[in-house]
Amino acid sequence: MVSKFTQWLDERTSFRQVWEAIFLRKIPKVNWWFTLGSASLFLALNQGITGILLTLYYVPTPDHAYDSVQYITTQVPLGWLVRGLHHWGASLMIVLVVLHMLRVILYGAYKFPREVTWFTGVILLLVVIGFGFTGYLLPWDQKSFWATTVGTRIAGTPPLIGDYLLRIIRGGSEITAVTLVRFFGVHVWVLPTLLILLIGIHLYLIIKNGISAVPQRGK
Amino acid sequence: MGEPNQLSRHNFMQAAIWGIGGFIGLGYVVSAIAYIVKPSLKNQQTQTWMRLGPTSKVELGIPTLFTFTIETQTGWISNTQEVSVYVLSTDGRTYIAMSNICTHLGCHVRWIVEKNQFTCPCHNGVFDVSGNVVSGPPPRPLDRYDVKVENDQLYVLVGG
Repeated sequence: MVSKFTQWLDERTSFRQVWEAIFLRKIPKVNWWFTLGSASLFLALNQGITGILLTLYYVPTPDHAYDSVQYITTQVPLGWLVRGLHHWGASLMIVLVVLHMLRVILYGAYKFPREVTWFTGVILLLVVIGFGFTGYLLPWDQKSFWATTVGTRIAGTPPLIGDYLLRIIRGGSEITAVTLVRFFGVHVWVLPTLLILLIGIHLYLIIKNGISAVPQRGK
Repeated sequence: MGEPNQLSRHNFMQAAIWGIGGFIGLGYVVSAIAYIVKPSLKNQQTQTWMRLGPTSKVELGIPTLFTFTIETQTGWISNTQEVSVYVLSTDGRTYIAMSNICTHLGCHVRWIVEKNQFTCPCHNGVFDVSGNVVSGPPPRPLDRYDVKVENDQLYVLVGG
């Protein structure tokens, strides 16, 4: 019965071919450092799931942001877990993608024919940092407020364009409701869209080109 | 593939990946359901007797409107909500307290003196003096509160 159904589905979608290309592809003999990309992907999934759950209660306005976060943490059943997973997952994400990048650099895996995979990876790193920067403001406590004050000031340091940049990021000269809601919008709409798009290209290229082997002495 | 009953490395890894993956996935699903569903099912208020006012305010045979405010906690926001109750007495000793919420779809009913009826503006539900359905879509009479009288003051039981 099941096999008849999968047969029917496979005839129309060739899903087995896709499955085999993704999960049953041949790879060189590699080590545990090669799992960092998959670990980052799993964390991205974790951030997506817990992030979506957080938006069910979080309100991105100055009069509700802090209280709604406190409500999630102390009142909602398992809210502490969902927020905790998102919070610690965010930090771990930065650690993992940096380690992932170091592995690619140290093993020379960015070379031909994998340059484009590397480029998308560099943009993905920037996207992940953007997630961290925008997400940090959302709890709207003292730490987020002052961290964003400092972070946006740093963006304001380049000569000539600095002041414009600072105002554009803050949505004005001060950190206000406008700043909070635009950080929220970037955090939940702009960056996730970019992330999904780039991860799609990144994974396609990995499967298309195959992964690199561990470099050998004298080769 | 190995012999039957013999667990090959391939099969072991496959089972482990599906097993651990399924376990983690289940963890997310169960947590998410508790997180979404449980706060929605929590009662917002505990049962209390609310004082409406003196019994002398009630005119015999005419539903008299009393209003009071209750404190509610919705999510992280505390607010006050105005509640309206119609109190009817035909003998000056026994009282019934009716909710002004239409039993059809929750609009507010009003007592119309000239017609001697409650009417609901939303879908023309009509109730008589003691809250029974006269015409229109309401499926049951107006809901009633438990009433008590202490020192000539009316109380109704709310919440729960």
